Amino acid sequence: MTRRLTALKTVLWLLAGVLGLLTVVRFLRGLGATTALTDTAPWGFWIAFDVMSGVALAAGGFVVAATVYIFGRERYRAFARPAILTAFLGYAAVAVGLLYDLGLPWHILNPVAHPQHHSVLFEVAMCVMLYLTVLFLEFSPVILEHPRLQRPLLVRIHHALKKVTIPLVIAGIVLSTLHQSSLGSLFLIAPYRLHPLWYSPYIWVLFFTSAVALGLAMVISESFFSAWLFGHKPRRELLANLGRAASFVLLLYVALRLGDLAARGQLARALEPTGHAALFWLELGVSALLPALLLQLPRVRSASGGLFGSAALIVFGMIGYRFDVCIVAFARPEDMPYFPSWMEIAVSVGIVAAAMIVFVFFVEHLRVYPPERLPSDPCAERAGTVNSRLSTLDAPPGPETVRPLLVGPAAAPRRYSLALVLGASLAVALLPATALFGEQVQRTPVAAPRMLDVLRLPASGRPAALVLPGDLELRTAGLGPRPALLAASRPERRGSVAEGDPGLPGGHTQGEPVRALLLDADRDGRTVLFAHDAHVERAGGETSCGRCHHQNLPFDRASSCGSCHADMFLVSDTFRHQRHVERLGGNASCTGCHDGAEGAKTRAKARACDDCHRDMVVADSVVAPRAGGLDGHAVGYMDAVHGLCVSCHEREVAARPGELPDTLADCGTCHGREDPGRLRRQGPYLPHSARRAQGLSTLDPRPSTRGPRAAPGPYRVGARPAE
Amino acid sequence: MQAWLEWARGPAFVFSFVFLLLGLLRHVALTAWEVAHVWRRAGDKKLPLGKLLRTTFLWLLPLTRLRNRFWFGLTSFVFHIAILVVPVFLAGHVALWARGLGLSWPAVPNAVADVLTLVAVVTAVLLLAQRVFSRATRSLSRFQDYALLPLIAVPFATGFLMMHPGSNPFDYQATFFVHVMSANLIFVLTPLTKLSHMVLMPSTQLVAELAWHWPVDSGSAVGRALGKEGDPV
Repeated sequence: MTRRLTALKTVLWLLAGVLGLLTVVRFLRGLGATTALTDTAPWGFWIAFDVMSGVALAAGGFVVAATVYIFGRERYRAFARPAILTAFLGYAAVAVGLLYDLGLPWHILNPVAHPQHHSVLFEVAMCVMLYLTVLFLEFSPVILEHPRLQRPLLVRIHHALKKVTIPLVIAGIVLSTLHQSSLGSLFLIAPYRLHPLWYSPYIWVLFFTSAVALGLAMVISESFFSAWLFGHKPRRELLANLGRAASFVLLLYVALRLGDLAARGQLARALEPTGHAALFWLELGVSALLPALLLQLPRVRSASGGLFGSAALIVFGMIGYRFDVCIVAFARPEDMPYFPSWMEIAVSVGIVAAAMIVFVFFVEHLRVYPPERLPSDPCAERAGTVNSRLSTLDAPPGPETVRPLLVGPAAAPRRYSLALVLGASLAVALLPATALFGEQVQRTPVAAPRMLDVLRLPASGRPAALVLPGDLELRTAGLGPRPALLAASRPERRGSVAEGDPGLPGGHTQGEPVRALLLDADRDGRTVLFAHDAHVERAGGETSCGRCHHQNLPFDRASSCGSCHADMFLVSDTFRHQRHVERLGGNASCTGCHDGAEGAKTRAKARACDDCHRDMVVADSVVAPRAGGLDGHAVGYMDAVHGLCVSCHEREVAARPGELPDTLADCGTCHGREDPGRLRRQGPYLPHSARRAQGLSTLDPRPSTRGPRAAPGPYRVGARPAE
Repeated sequence: MQAWLEWARGPAFVFSFVFLLLGLLRHVALTAWEVAHVWRRAGDKKLPLGKLLRTTFLWLLPLTRLRNRFWFGLTSFVFHIAILVVPVFLAGHVALWARGLGLSWPAVPNAVADVLTLVAVVTAVLLLAQRVFSRATRSLSRFQDYALLPLIAVPFATGFLMMHPGSNPFDYQATFFVHVMSANLIFVLTPLTKLSHMVLMPSTQLVAELAWHWPVDSGSAVGRALGKEGDPV
């Protein structure tokens, strides 16, 4: 018995440790880092479990209070105190759980500060708030009984509270009836998002009936559980009566639910072979049909296993009902599915564990159960605890004196604090990187370009325009935006405007078929057409690859940009350390690259790549190799390509003024399909003409107006990342 | 091996290090709570505070104890210097601290770190030898007294091999893995074994002193707690 209790409390403290750590993370890093909630799934596990199920699970309080105090069934008085304590802790858990779920937790006071009396949620909030107070007042006589609290003022409060028991109980029943049903009414606002098998204009009746049955089931399961835990006998006959009552309530609930579906003509949906119909029957079966029928059988009712099993079915089934209404049967955008993160589940479980710790504490220190059922003598236990704990403190302890003191009830605080610490440490180790270090930059892998047939429009004094087949097109600067629907990829229609096509930009009717690269490295649908062949021609023919392909993979003549600049925005590491270790001969080879046998072997203290790979750098490239040798870092694809193309275009404009248009180095030359205004707004660069007037390069970022994060860092070829 | 190494340096390290910090914090909190508890119930509340502070500081200065067991005290002192300096002030570790905490401090020269690493391994062996070959110490020793010394030597030995890869007969990454995991194991064991003296040591004099201030007749309560009620003292 004691061992059971100790084991359970250890596990509870472990879960509380997880909760403690996650609390820090939740309030430091916010909802985004801890939950799977999004703007399209703004509520999830916490609302479904902590609030919807939590309130319903605590329904035992008002059901038993009504039975004992209103209907005068004195036999059930023994259940009143634990049921009211369970309800109080349950509602406290609801309030605490809400603090986690609200993005701005102090807004929990808004229903009071800014009352919206038309809102159902306002009613729920006020009822829960008031009922929590009522439950506290209902339970406080149990606290005030404690021998240490027999002060004159407290005794007077105690007596006053006892006098108002009946009004308190009535208030509790009224408030419970109101908000248990209103939790269902909340969904009246979303008739088209809740599946018809769950939506009903009378959903509040269903919520209330199911809460009453669930309250009875909670009293039964809680009695069996605490009897098992504290080692006393459950009052099986009384519990069987409660089970019988629960069964009638459940039958009523089933009749209401099916009758409502039939009356609204939706019953046929339950017989269709759909996932929702299967879920409906599974939920109704587990939560109501099966336990109601089982509890009608005297044989099941009189057996502990049958009674407890049926009650457990009701509890799990009714939690399932709340989850179905809240999450599963609630329509969400198809491409935005919601599944809770482990941290959401762990927080909810941790709150329940914390509530259970408080429950056990109250049972151990107050008269929650009738006196003959006290688990053990707390005074004797406490004396032993203190003294033996004292002697463990002496350091250094001898071998034989320590071990016996660390087992048994004497080591309670040590044991439970260790469980707490262990839980918190495990939670830290399981945290995702976003929760530990804040929002991380997502990697954007670069996709290879595609080779396309396009039309090149004749141009005099201007860069030639390339036109894409289909609805894509690219225009160089100076040509107005105009859609061109061509099928240039079909050989028979190459080079001419098809009949019915609106025509080529600039009034052209003929184009020269050429090949071009379609660049969309981050696959965002915004493309650039790159006339590769024309650039080869301009750069000097077949031997000129190295002008742009400034570094190549071994034995390669023109490695594609993305083979090293493998991420759209982030620096990529092109160096394979382990491969070098294997090829160069293991440990003995370290000093081959790292200078000296001494010291930390970092990249900064290693030889440059081109010390050995001399062919890697192309001699006459327009991209200058990094001063001090290559270190294996490749800047983001965007920076690399901008650095190469824009700086070369700038040089060309400067070298041949008048011959080439001044706008050749502007964004629109390549990003012709983009709205120039948008490019200016988005891009880190100022318009080329403005930059030239100031004698700056196009690649210099625009001055920041919103602090350092507004403008990305300077874009230069070979920029070295901070290590 | 790469993946195992990432795991050891990632989640396994985070778990061990947080467990170390929280576990030591737990020891401090429990001690403070228990000391306060005893102090509240103390029969005689006159604590010789000046003497307590003096003995605490003297106890922390091991040189004062050299009179007692000279060689053991000296080895232990040198051992502690070595195992405290190297993990915190080795250049490679300083880089890791800077990456993880954003805090940086000067590092000891690598040659000094090399010497201290070897000193740590050698003194660990010497301490173990003195424990094994002395009958009095042997009779007082528990399993952890023997096991912790070689365990502490492991990260130092592997760290030395990592710093001198040319003379390392084992695979570099395997050495790295053993280095990290043995350190992780030490972190986890610290709050659970006598290694927690790293935070509890300063409180020993106070705790020992408080035992003299127990209320009258506490001895029988201790006997009860130990289950040795009525046994002759």
